[in-house]
Amino acid sequence: MTDLALQLQGVTKRYGDFTAVDQVSLEVPKGSIYGFLGPNGAGKTTTIRMILDIVKPTAGSISVLGRPSALDVRDRIGYLPEEKGLYKKMKAWAVIAYFAALKRVDRKTAKNKAYELLERYGLKDFADSKIEALSKGMSQKVQVLASIAHDPEFVILDEPFSGLDPVNQQVMEEVIRDMSKTGSTIVFSTHVMAHAERICDRIVLIAKGQIIFDGTIPEAQRSMPNRVRLVGDVEEVQLTGLPGVQQARTFEEEGRDGGWELILDESADPGDILRACFDQRIELRSYDHREPTLHDVFVHLVGEDAREATLR
Amino acid sequence: MRNALLVASREYAENARTKGFWIGILMLPVILVVAIQVTRWLENDATPTRYFTVVDQEGHYLEEIDRRLDLRYAGRVLGAFQSWTQSNFREEYRQAPIDFENMPPMDLKGDADAYLELLIQSDPKAFDSLLEEGGIQRRIDEVADFLREDASEFETPRRLFVRVELPAEMDPAGEPREIAGGLKEYLNGDQKLANGDQQIDLFALLVIPQGVDNAFQPQEERGLIGEIADGLTKDKAPKVEYWSINLADSDLPNQLQSILNRELRRSQYLVRGMDTVVVNDVQGMHLPVKKLDPGKAEGEEEVSQADVLRDYAPIGFVYLLWISIMQVASMLLNNTVEEKSNRIIEVLLSSVTAWELMAGKLIGIAAIGITILTCWLGSAAGLLWYWSSPEAVLISNLLDVIFDDTLLPAFIFYFLGGYFMYAGIFLAIGSVCNTIKEAQNFMGPVMMIMMVPIFTMMFIPKDPHGTLATVLSWIPLYTPFIMMNRAAAEPPMFDLVGTSILLVVSNIAVLWLCGRIFRTGILRTGQPPRLVEMLRWMRRRAD
Repeated sequence: MTDLALQLQGVTKRYGDFTAVDQVSLEVPKGSIYGFLGPNGAGKTTTIRMILDIVKPTAGSISVLGRPSALDVRDRIGYLPEEKGLYKKMKAWAVIAYFAALKRVDRKTAKNKAYELLERYGLKDFADSKIEALSKGMSQKVQVLASIAHDPEFVILDEPFSGLDPVNQQVMEEVIRDMSKTGSTIVFSTHVMAHAERICDRIVLIAKGQIIFDGTIPEAQRSMPNRVRLVGDVEEVQLTGLPGVQQARTFEEEGRDGGWELILDESADPGDILRACFDQRIELRSYDHREPTLHDVFVHLVGEDAREATLR
Repeated sequence: MRNALLVASREYAENARTKGFWIGILMLPVILVVAIQVTRWLENDATPTRYFTVVDQEGHYLEEIDRRLDLRYAGRVLGAFQSWTQSNFREEYRQAPIDFENMPPMDLKGDADAYLELLIQSDPKAFDSLLEEGGIQRRIDEVADFLREDASEFETPRRLFVRVELPAEMDPAGEPREIAGGLKEYLNGDQKLANGDQQIDLFALLVIPQGVDNAFQPQEERGLIGEIADGLTKDKAPKVEYWSINLADSDLPNQLQSILNRELRRSQYLVRGMDTVVVNDVQGMHLPVKKLDPGKAEGEEEVSQADVLRDYAPIGFVYLLWISIMQVASMLLNNTVEEKSNRIIEVLLSSVTAWELMAGKLIGIAAIGITILTCWLGSAAGLLWYWSSPEAVLISNLLDVIFDDTLLPAFIFYFLGGYFMYAGIFLAIGSVCNTIKEAQNFMGPVMMIMMVPIFTMMFIPKDPHGTLATVLSWIPLYTPFIMMNRAAAEPPMFDLVGTSILLVVSNIAVLWLCGRIFRTGILRTGQPPRLVEMLRWMRRRAD
């Protein structure tokens, strides 16, 4: 028995001349929370559809819970597609119970589970409402619950956060953490880095159908160059003269004065820079050395491709 | 299979739980009831009494008009009386309606005048007495012993046509045009006409001018020139004029016309020296034609009303078949498009295979179709049973035909055969379309193909084994409808078995091919594919 929930080897999908997914290899250990990050059109959804065997890959092999097709183990998998939608005329509990029943939960258990989940995640009062009477965010929550009501071992959530308000985004994070606590493996895709940063054990960054990063969040942060940001009356030459500084460039941040960003040698100590500034009487209004956020990593790695995604 | 059944039960529940569905089902019987009741009501009560006046310058028509209208009215009263006795007699008498009138055969009913004549001949005195004051009451008293205790009052039908006299100030011998001009205000409804102490609306004026009969007088040979001259004068000969602003209600003019012609012929028999009694006798003759069917057992060859109904019942069944298949197949189309446009399909496909999904939908909606048909047939039977008093024989014959031991099973078989065929096609169409609007573009040609059985449905029973019927029977798309159409005529065994096998085989083929389109189409977004592309999907194993 392998301890991988998911394994992709050289998976490629072509639509005519267009390569949507190119040579993707990936291993998701059981029990982990894995983030699929990438700009729109990067191939996340296609990859997920291939994992679920809804779409067949052009080349490469996929193994889900040790089986070559997700359909063999579909009762142990939960799936939330990117495009959300439910039967409008059905009641919230009935939708959840129906999808659970399709996963071989017996009807009575499914119904109880539906009510339990709705209550736990704040939709108790809407359990008997029809989907068409719910707001978009609420019906999306119902759909998420429908995808996990059968306690799947492996959950794939495509953009679970999109369309949710901040409060419900937190509820969604809670859902994912709760699932993880029970030992489920969770793969979700998003282009909102903050969520990934908070809950993922590992992330995969996909752009133009290729994996450009695969690892833990600290690893991702380490992939960024060492840097400090400072604001003050200072000339570029003064800055490049500081110890360990490779490059100085201006940056602008919304609501604040523009300043300088210094790219440092990997071994350089940001403390030394600050001391040197004092020594050279460079007047600083602000000095900032912090771990790069996933957002920074994302922008750094994906660059221009990400523009569209991050603006959303 | 379990998943397919789950999908099926959801489909069924979703449709069967909505009020609209049941309202839709009940609409048909309700419309039927309303239509029948309204027609009855229109016939009996809705048309007002029509008052008309006649100017008869020839002299012999007026009396005949009065007499005939009286007789017709008496016939109506008698008819009403008969149905009243049928519904109000005690059970034991109703089974065998009393033959107190030596009723002539009913199949002459189409020819109202001939029927009337026979009635009169059968009991002239009784007939005349009906028209006398209290005549009908005497009849009612006669049958009092047979009546149920809770028998309803007999309502004497009112007269539909009443002749009134020309206003005194008018000259009945004047020019027709003048008379019409003088009555214009009454005919237009601007003014009421005094009739005794009543004020009435004058509905029509009939003018029979002097000399209308002349054109028909026997003439000696006059040679070619004379005949041409006759032809010319004939056009100028005076014509009977019927004046009314309402020309849509043709009952009165039709009756008047038939009475006039009858009287014209009668007077001409006299003029030509023929014995009117003999003529009347001869005219009243009627050769009964018995319809026999050699296909039936010896001694029972006589064709009954039930047999006639049985020959035509398939038309009703075909129509029912068509409507129900159409209705449920479009349901399938709609909810496939809904699932696709709501993107539910992806979640579903992560839980069930495309085949299971398709099978589930087909089964669920088939169950809906059967529910609809059961409701329709059930309510039809219920209504017929409810109405079964006066036309008891007809109704029980109808019920026998509907629940006939060959027609009903055939109907169920052809329903399923037709359903799976069209459902498969509709499902495939639904799977490639993102919106109902797109689906409608595909539906156009399919609808045109589907219309054929509706066009041919009335002709098939007349020639159930003809070329058209046979050829269409062998086209699987039409097999269910056409074979249903032919069912009562007992089609040749070869056709029956052959088309059934072909139907089942093509059902499987259609479902299999449409399944392939469904599987690929269902996940596709964007523009619907072209036909060529869909054909490719049918051949390809997987996407």
